[in-house]
Amino acid sequence: MIFKFFTIKEFKKFWPFYGLVVFTVLLGTLGLSGISLISSKVQGELNARAKELLTSDFALNARRNFTEEELKFIEDLKERSEASYKVVDIYSMLTLERTKDTRLVEVRGIEEGFPFHGSIQASEPLTATGLYISEDLERLWGVTKGDTVLLGELSFQVKDIIRKDSSVGLRGFSLAPRIYLPLKDLEKTGLLKFGATGSYAYHFLFPRYTKTHLENLKKEVFRKFTDPALRVSLPENSSGQTARAVNMLTNFMSLAALIGLILSLVGIFYLYQSHFAARLKDYCLLYLHGLSKIKLITWLILQFTVLFTFVMIIQVSFFSTGYHWIRPLLESNLGLDLGESISLDVLVFQIPFLYALSVLILVPLLLGLLRTPMGISLKSSKIVMGQFRYYDFLPFIVCLWFFSWSLSGSLRIGNIFFGGLLLVFLVSSLIVKVWQWSILKVLSPKHLRFFSLELGVALRQIARSGHKLTFSFLSLCLGATLISLILQLDIKVQSEFELKEEKPALFIFDIQEEQIEDLLKIAEDLKTPLEAVTPMIRARLETVNNRPFERKKRDIKLREEGDEEARIRNNALNLTSRDFLSPSERIIKGKDFKEINTDKALVSLESRWAQRMNIKIGDELKFDIQGVEFEATVVNLKEIKWTSFYPNFFVNVSPPHLEGAPRTYLAILPQTYSELKNDFQRAVLRKLPNISFIDVENLIEQIWRLFLKSKVAIELISILSLFVGLVILYGLCHDQVYRRYYDLALFKGLGMTTGQVRKSLLLEFGLLFLISIITGLLLGWFMAQVISQEAFKLSWSISVERLVIPGVILIILCLATIVVSSYRALKGQARDLLSEN
Amino acid sequence: MMKVRNLKKSYGQGSEKVEILKGLNFDIQEGETVALIGKSGSGKSTLLSLLSGLDRPDSGEVFLNEKNIFEMSDRELAIFRSQNIGIVFQQFHLVSTLTALENIILPLELSGVAEPYERAQELIDAVGLSHRAHHLPSQLSGGECQRVAIARALSIKPRILFADEPSGNLDEETGEMVMNLLFEMVKDTRTTLVLVTHDLELAQKCSRIIHLEHGSIG
Repeated sequence: MIFKFFTIKEFKKFWPFYGLVVFTVLLGTLGLSGISLISSKVQGELNARAKELLTSDFALNARRNFTEEELKFIEDLKERSEASYKVVDIYSMLTLERTKDTRLVEVRGIEEGFPFHGSIQASEPLTATGLYISEDLERLWGVTKGDTVLLGELSFQVKDIIRKDSSVGLRGFSLAPRIYLPLKDLEKTGLLKFGATGSYAYHFLFPRYTKTHLENLKKEVFRKFTDPALRVSLPENSSGQTARAVNMLTNFMSLAALIGLILSLVGIFYLYQSHFAARLKDYCLLYLHGLSKIKLITWLILQFTVLFTFVMIIQVSFFSTGYHWIRPLLESNLGLDLGESISLDVLVFQIPFLYALSVLILVPLLLGLLRTPMGISLKSSKIVMGQFRYYDFLPFIVCLWFFSWSLSGSLRIGNIFFGGLLLVFLVSSLIVKVWQWSILKVLSPKHLRFFSLELGVALRQIARSGHKLTFSFLSLCLGATLISLILQLDIKVQSEFELKEEKPALFIFDIQEEQIEDLLKIAEDLKTPLEAVTPMIRARLETVNNRPFERKKRDIKLREEGDEEARIRNNALNLTSRDFLSPSERIIKGKDFKEINTDKALVSLESRWAQRMNIKIGDELKFDIQGVEFEATVVNLKEIKWTSFYPNFFVNVSPPHLEGAPRTYLAILPQTYSELKNDFQRAVLRKLPNISFIDVENLIEQIWRLFLKSKVAIELISILSLFVGLVILYGLCHDQVYRRYYDLALFKGLGMTTGQVRKSLLLEFGLLFLISIITGLLLGWFMAQVISQEAFKLSWSISVERLVIPGVILIILCLATIVVSSYRALKGQARDLLSEN
Repeated sequence: MMKVRNLKKSYGQGSEKVEILKGLNFDIQEGETVALIGKSGSGKSTLLSLLSGLDRPDSGEVFLNEKNIFEMSDRELAIFRSQNIGIVFQQFHLVSTLTALENIILPLELSGVAEPYERAQELIDAVGLSHRAHHLPSQLSGGECQRVAIARALSIKPRILFADEPSGNLDEETGEMVMNLLFEMVKDTRTTLVLVTHDLELAQKCSRIIHLEHGSIG
């Protein structure tokens, strides 16, 4: 009861402080909760649509034709299931007869009964006769119902336009729009030749099977067939594929929002530190009147809990009403029907973490209170709060690490993020220490002047403000790091995807060996030289140093970083054979083929792939190429810039050892011949209809659009974080200046004018802002370089204007903050220093 | 040296207005030590803030060496204070981020004294704290802080020194030691002293006592 009474009194009396705490917690948690809610909503929708995405309950698929034994098993499955159908997906070029325009499309050959789940809606129900095209083709290309299109060796009339396709995942980046036609017709087009990029699948309907039944069936397949090329798809896997893009984006944004939360926690720490210092005398009095320290701390935690609950109530109300406003925007960007209402379960799940983090940041201060000798403090002239120790932050740090791991959805990304935070903290602490130490070394003990008296006073203030400066520095530095990270990543990705001379205009694939001569002839006739004609050989890695290389990660839940590894481990791989490096390749370890004089086959590997597969230079690899075994020794590791869109491979075997192996070829049309790309495609398709093209310009444009969508979301979060940073900054500056109210009044009493005092303050904080913001911007730049090098293989670069402009803006904003927050303190009069005032 | 004429000061507005000083008139001669005594709320600190130019009156004049200090602008007054007036506070009020020596140098540099370090060094020797010269106020005891504050106040060789309950925050023994030091230094430098105190015994050490009662001289 007495706690309740005191709490209400406390809130009433110190409402500006508690108001600021509520505001700070609210700002810090708002971004994070918002992103988590949206992410969970999208995930929920994808899970609900999982069966529709797969179209069936169970599917067996492979990027090759099924073997006799597999087909026997499929026949058995057909008998056990209620119904089944076969689907073949292949990428190919489609020509519109009317305009002779050509375009890469994803061709899906279907059988009667497709789809078991979901619906493919045209103006009439979809049947397994005739060719249907996606709405994208109508929009982009002007294809209409009844138009004639050429596909492979056949021509078709467009039967209808598909208005809604529940088997398509999130709308975003895709290589090509989809068309549907009967499987028997697809087989007649001649597109399903060896080497074509096709995927074959049998789908089954098991209406009475539970999830466990399906899992058991999957295990049965894997027991029977060890070939990693054979895959099993269940509904939950199919949604995972499309959700991964959303996951990565939301995880990244969550981490950005987490920085906002950390900034607000720094602010809460700072606010409470000042509050406890100001209220210490009252706490000592309460202690003298019998309130134990434990009860006092319990009371303070209870107070905070009340505030936190209040913040959460505001958030829940905000999201329940705000969702209706942002829903149309999300739906149009994600291509998902998100539904009328939003479930707040994820917020409820997150609240304990947020609460734990917020309370744990206060633990060092509460322990400081515990360490305060309250009984004797009242006797001394100055009541000083007990010091907190650095290890008091340990519970907070552990909780933060756990939270960042959980938010990022990956231990590795969580660790990188946490490592980045630690780096900012360590660098900030180090810079502050070195800075303070060097100022003290430079300052003359004989003069306060350092160019001017104001600067001398300001420098001493910086040099002797101890860990308070570290906190101010750290919070500013974190904010600047985040802003710089986003701006630098943005410009790097932008410049990388800008069409440059060295990027090809067309990427040409599915070229049969016997077609090369004809293709070169067409290119010569059109005066469009083909470049980087590279063989692609389908193989399977059998052994490494005579140890079998087998299915290993089939059953684990895939994460972003493990996904590619698992894919490669489980699948046949495509390799090449050439004795030159493409412009986007660079050997980073080992020797070039030309430097080694041997008759044995040599192999060059992409370094990150080799690292993930645990393969080193000198290892002996055995491949299976269409049933023929082949051995080679790893002699070098190379770095590949994949965004160059050149034909590049993880594995390159020295020629001429693979002469005679079945292969197809890839080639590129250089960017300089961009204007001829349509003529070239038409000419090729007339003569060689199975050859496919990827329009790199168009592809880059698609990636660019996707990037722009993500950018807006990330920028919103950054602005929110920046706003949190500014509020914290205001609180921090206000607190710093307010704490020095008497010092400032004293300066006046000793004869400094208000202008001189203001100048000294501006110099002190200006220097703090300048150095912390420069450090933050540089750290952000550094992190952007590391991330872009790690994730995209982009080379290091610097955008000076993206460092200088935000730097200047931030410093001006900060200085404006200090001018505003010092306004009241500078009005303080020296008479306040007298005993009766 | 200092003339106070019809000095009035009140706080609050309308019916809430409280008249703190009700038209004071007195003179202080050069080298004189004057004790201002009175009960809490009698207006001692208000008078001190006006005499030292830290505040402005509602009406009335304070002449220091024939100059009416309230005719000066805030800026001029700040400069004037930095050259002519020294103040010792009850709570010491040392700048927390400056060492003991730097606290003494600060007013010297503000008033443009030629060799501030040497002068500050002399003063810190004089108050017996040369071994603590490079310590921060947080590392000094209350008595030491007040000795630094006295040295700082006297550093500019002020025409007049105001001391506001300088021993009020110290234990009896330290307080006595500090007061003895203050009187000694004032005597040596022939500085005029205006001392606000509750302590009658201490007040009697001054050459004159001004007793304030309800805003008037009693």
